[in-house]
Amino acid sequence: MWLSVWAVKLLQRRFMSQLNSSATPTLIAKDGTRILDGWALLNDEDVVGADGPYVLGFERALNELPGLNGKYGVRINPGDDIRALSPYMEKIALVEVNFPGYRDGRGYSTARILRSDLNYQGEIRAVGDVLRDQLFLMLRCGFNEFLLKDADPEGAIKAATDRFENAYQSATDARQPIWALRKQLAGA
Amino acid sequence: MYVYDQFDHALVRERNAEFSDQVARRLSGELSEDQFKPLRLMNGLYLQLHAYMLRIAIPYGVLSSVQMRRFAHIARTYDRDFGHFTTRQNLQFNWIKLADTPKILEELAEVEMHAMQTSGNCIRNTTTDQFAGAAKDELDDPRPWAELIRQWSTIHPEFTFLPRKFKIAITGATKDRAAIRVHDIGLHLTPKGFDVYVGGGMGRTPHLGHLIKSGVPGEKLLSYLEACLRVYNRYGRRDNIYKARIKILVSALGPDEYARQVEEEWAQLDQAAIDAPYYEIDRIRTFFPDPAYADKAFDAAALDRAKAADPGFARWVRNNTHPHKRDDHVSVTISTKPVGLPPGDASSAQMDVMADVADSFAYSELRVAHDQNIILPHVAKADLYDLYQQLDRVNLSTANAKKITDIIACPGLDYCSLANARSIPLSQEISKKFSDANLTDEIGELEIKISGCINACGHHHVGHIGILGVDKQGIEVYQIMLGGRADEKAALGVITGKGLSAEAVPGALERVVRLYLQLRTSPAERFIDVVERLGRETFAEALHEPA
Repeated sequence: MWLSVWAVKLLQRRFMSQLNSSATPTLIAKDGTRILDGWALLNDEDVVGADGPYVLGFERALNELPGLNGKYGVRINPGDDIRALSPYMEKIALVEVNFPGYRDGRGYSTARILRSDLNYQGEIRAVGDVLRDQLFLMLRCGFNEFLLKDADPEGAIKAATDRFENAYQSATDARQPIWALRKQLAGA
Repeated sequence: MYVYDQFDHALVRERNAEFSDQVARRLSGELSEDQFKPLRLMNGLYLQLHAYMLRIAIPYGVLSSVQMRRFAHIARTYDRDFGHFTTRQNLQFNWIKLADTPKILEELAEVEMHAMQTSGNCIRNTTTDQFAGAAKDELDDPRPWAELIRQWSTIHPEFTFLPRKFKIAITGATKDRAAIRVHDIGLHLTPKGFDVYVGGGMGRTPHLGHLIKSGVPGEKLLSYLEACLRVYNRYGRRDNIYKARIKILVSALGPDEYARQVEEEWAQLDQAAIDAPYYEIDRIRTFFPDPAYADKAFDAAALDRAKAADPGFARWVRNNTHPHKRDDHVSVTISTKPVGLPPGDASSAQMDVMADVADSFAYSELRVAHDQNIILPHVAKADLYDLYQQLDRVNLSTANAKKITDIIACPGLDYCSLANARSIPLSQEISKKFSDANLTDEIGELEIKISGCINACGHHHVGHIGILGVDKQGIEVYQIMLGGRADEKAALGVITGKGLSAEAVPGALERVVRLYLQLRTSPAERFIDVVERLGRETFAEALHEPA
């Protein structure tokens, strides 16, 4: 049953994305490997099956996660407060952070709050208006999957990974802030 | 001043490589102008009315003679032989070719400069007191803190797509020369830590910043700022570009509620990971020592003789020098505002001379002030006459610092695609009206600020006399505001009288000024003091031609 919902959703998503982008978006992980999307975003009228790969809208997740068991995905739009879902973190395996337009930077805070404050270890996926020039920032904020609009998605990930060796601030990636590297260098 | 280490160099190099790649993609057609726009804006490249404009960051307004000389070279090689110093202590080149920008950025990187975050909805260049490290009334030097903020805010992963641009200013002196209460965040460095003002700004809806926290310890400054920014990034309005600055959020929530949310966010942050520890702050501090002051014998009598022999010099010393923490030194203002020329502009030849005199007389250091003038922060009094003569040869000796002709004006309709009215020609007409040096000196300190549209790039809200150009059915009309100030007694000017035509403004200002001269109790009572004492309506009638 959920498989057919998933197939329809997948087709819808692919079709919708193509309307306003030059390249077909590719789902790709931060290590540069392409991922087959196993998740299906549910509409309000769709029934949630037990422990399936369903992505719930924010309101629905708030209402239904308390009564659900298993692992789910949730979709966060820019105005949604991710902290409202903090009691249910162990039921969440995927957070889809939607960027309706690349200029809306609220999703970066969502990812950092997930990783730093809520200690969330699951997948954080950037969807929507996701372009190669945002990837470096997204990687630093804790995103690890991208529905990326780019003709060369592997190249885009590689460029974002290699572009800057270090960074001034601490974020949620492995980079130590430059002030810490300076200290190490001075002590060495 | 701060010197890049391997990490700073690498980061600028990497950023330039990224931007060069973006320019190449635009030139090849891979990126449309629409797609390229946000990318070029992240690197200070605007498309103006006639050409590309490149805005170069001068961190907290501090630059070396080497950097100034490089500006001259860029002006000569890639622009029309001049550059424009801005109210945000930056420099703009107005006639740049897109294909040249990677080369220009490379030339800048060689002298530890860049154009990162000089535009776009990110944290912009942090500005400060142009007399930092030199002023007599300074309690603590704001520059190391500004450098700390520069590093923290550079390519900040979370705050690069804010609702709107974000400007931070710091002062460490009794007198506020950094206009901290009209910035998104204003920091006042006190012996007990930082007083944090949030939500100030000009533009269409001017606000003065609210004090939301006192005494933030220096070693906690970055995490506190991060909390301020996170609340703004999450809750600032994004539906309307004119309501997207933090001042609108703070005013909608109320300063207390905003402060409470910041406090809550601050408590949740991993402060230890964010805050640079004291050894880093101390490391940065070591780059801002006092210069190796020359112990030149200062002959006060010789200075007096020079002043007596050269009244122009005497006037320049009186108007364009500022008290230094050492009695044998002063800070010098080099005015970029000679009568009848656009404020803030400097030719490559003038830049070269400024670099040369900085080497000869000012320990190779210069500053850009937020009133668009250039400062030599440390000059031995013994060198003043030699310095003056060299500046005078290239029309850089205008003796009008803080005077009525020391006007701030935005580029206006002559350059800017947003403007409704011209500002530079009006500032030129006003400065011609008050070209009589004796009259200017008699008037004393009076700040005129002109904007060519309500976006207020000319800071008209905080001019002692503010002038706002608007378009009324195709005719340029100028509204006059009185009583604004951006100092430690910050206040917003209020529109006084009816709008005037460009032709009527200089005469109206002359009548206002004559009235002021009658009303003041002594020359020490400045125009702004009289407005404060008697109210701005006192001057309303004088603005209009007597019937």
